[in-house]
Amino acid sequence: MTQVIARKEFIEMLRDGRVRWTGGIVLVLLAVAFLTGWTRHHELTRQHSAAQEATRKHWLTQGKKNPHSAAHYGIYAFKPKLPLAVLDTGTEPYTGVAVWLEAHKQNEFKYRPAQDATILARFGELTAAAVMQLLIPLLIIIMTFGAFAGEREQGTLRQLLSLGVPARRLALGKALGLLAGLGVYLVPAVLLGAGAILFASGTVESAASAPRAIWLALAYLLYFFTFAAIGLSVSAWARTPRLSLIALIGFWIVNCLVAPRAAVDLVKAVRPTPTAFDFAQNIAADLAGGDGHATPAARAKQLEARVLKQYGVSKLEDLPVSFAGISLQDGEEHGNAVFDRRYGELWDAFDSQNQMRNWIAIAAPLLAIRPVSMGMSGTDTAHHRDFATAAETYRRDLNRRMNDELRDHGKGKDFGHLVGDDFWSQVPDFHYIAPDASWAVRNHAVPFLLLLTSAVAAGILCYRTASRLRIE
Amino acid sequence: MLEAIALSKTYGAHTALHPLDLKIEPGEVYCLLGANGAGKTTTINLFLNFVEPTAGQAKIAGLDVTKQSIESKKHVAYIPETVMLYRNLTGLENLEYFTALAGVEKYSEAQLRGFLRDAGLPQQAEDKRVGVYSKGMRQKVGIAIAMAKKAGALLLDEPTSGLDPKASNEFSELLKRMSGDGVAILMATHDLFRAKECGTRVGIMKQGRMVASLSTSEIGHADLERLYLQHMHD
Ligand SMILES: Nc1ncnc2c1ncn2[C@@H]1O[C@H](COP(=O)(O)OP(=O)(O)OP(=O)(O)O)[C@@H](O)[C@H]1O
Ligand SMILES: [Mg+2]
Repeated sequence: MTQVIARKEFIEMLRDGRVRWTGGIVLVLLAVAFLTGWTRHHELTRQHSAAQEATRKHWLTQGKKNPHSAAHYGIYAFKPKLPLAVLDTGTEPYTGVAVWLEAHKQNEFKYRPAQDATILARFGELTAAAVMQLLIPLLIIIMTFGAFAGEREQGTLRQLLSLGVPARRLALGKALGLLAGLGVYLVPAVLLGAGAILFASGTVESAASAPRAIWLALAYLLYFFTFAAIGLSVSAWARTPRLSLIALIGFWIVNCLVAPRAAVDLVKAVRPTPTAFDFAQNIAADLAGGDGHATPAARAKQLEARVLKQYGVSKLEDLPVSFAGISLQDGEEHGNAVFDRRYGELWDAFDSQNQMRNWIAIAAPLLAIRPVSMGMSGTDTAHHRDFATAAETYRRDLNRRMNDELRDHGKGKDFGHLVGDDFWSQVPDFHYIAPDASWAVRNHAVPFLLLLTSAVAAGILCYRTASRLRIE
Repeated sequence: MLEAIALSKTYGAHTALHPLDLKIEPGEVYCLLGANGAGKTTTINLFLNFVEPTAGQAKIAGLDVTKQSIESKKHVAYIPETVMLYRNLTGLENLEYFTALAGVEKYSEAQLRGFLRDAGLPQQAEDKRVGVYSKGMRQKVGIAIAMAKKAGALLLDEPTSGLDPKASNEFSELLKRMSGDGVAILMATHDLFRAKECGTRVGIMKQGRMVASLSTSEIGHADLERLYLQHMHD
């Protein structure tokens, strides 16, 4: 019986013009999103690996130079794109994907398309994630709002119940029919998406991302299930399909438009982060001794005394090493402590903002699927932070190497000490491997659980309302 | 087969059905007559458990319709005043769907088409979407659905409304055949002539009360009309 109901629902859905139009539009938009995602991914990956190669080549062939000048010369590090980034660009348009690693400074990330985006570029940012998060729920609403309310208005519900069809069976059949109807649009969408990912990243890398893809698919299925169950519940409850549609569109507006906006404002108000300008000012002030530590001049005096004592000499000229190298490294370490503290504060603030957003997600599943989607795609703040930390570790190691060289071999010459290409090649290249899927999942355990909870809650609601089905 | 025991229904202060006792045996065709608002549809809806009774009991095949609502419906087929169907499905698909859900034996396509033909639906309409059907055509699909269910009892609420005279006549013949097969039929109607024609008993309702109940063999057509009008005037 369930199968018969599902089949009939499916046939009706295929013949329903409204569903066909919405589904067609969603599919076209998804195809466009995959296409732009793929080209963007392909182009950026190509640019980045070319730039990464170029920056390494420049480093290796920079010629005879003082090591500290080389540290100022610096290198660029590019955050590699994971295959699933085709689907979801996440925070990357805002946080950037490239950082310049140089002496003295932990730099902000560069290449933030959102910063200098034209209207056209913004339109080009249509991502598959946005279509899946915003438009597929709309398609589900179009498919479900009339499920019961429509039959109630048509009078066929009366006919069905006069036959002795149990309401729960009816609901189950309708849910299965909906699943099949949704499959008509989702299966080609998944195939297109898989194609886009494979074309953009190749089979080897894509295969390595399979666990991430599975988790991502699971999260979206929970998200869609929640909408489907809510759609069926409201339709079972509403007297007329019109009322059902209005209620569901209202929920959609709250979920997709109001909640994200409100979350941003609320989070900003309750857990503020410093502006980029204030952040830079704070760091500058701390470096100048404003953090309660000694001023640079006083620190230099202390260092001098310490080093003289350590080597058992009374004048800097008597040191067996270059004091410039020691002093530079000391400056680095002081700076690193400031960066660790200030960046640590900033990251923690972002984390606590994310946590707060997670809790708002109880009311709006969009706020739960968004971080999960970004996390699995490797484009969330956690991945950004992981990469930034790796890049910073590399920067510090690079600077230490330069300063050690100056200290050990630059006696008497200081900044006149020059080294050549054979020394540059001793510095290892920057290699970054993104964390694995389980790390990403653990980062988003809370929104994952919320998605699961809302799906279960919506399922129970649907079961309940369908059990108490009214004829009129 | 169909039994009402002190069955009543009130909506707020208004009593739509005063306590009613009624028993319809297999093979009987009971026609409910009465003015608009007399309580005919209410009675039928009570048997279908579409509305909760205020007091009393309705039974189909000995099953209490509120306590065994799903089970009791297996024994009854229903044709409303306006049969409601799925606009996007064809007449044949509608019949196929409803019979499958009725849980009766699986019919072949030829058998299903046979039911539609017996109900008088033009053959070329069978594969057209119901959205383009006339009211009478939809009614005929409803009749086919009821016949295909092969239930022991029929609840009919002005089933011939919208049918042309020929189809109405064929429907009467159909009812007689079914009654001959031992089906218990309760039919609300405004058609005194048909009630006399195919009913075995008639009941006249007025403002929720059964004011007269008699066997059609006891009375001629003209007498029935006189009796009916007389009750309406009091
Ligand atoms: N849902 C309801 N709420 C309140 N009153 C109702 C409701 N349904 C029916 N009634 C009332 O119950 C009474 C009986 O209605 P019913 O539909 O049974 O009449 P009927 O005999 O079928 O009339 P008709 O010949 O017009 O079909 C009417 O007075 C009607 O107004
Ligand atoms: Mg009526």
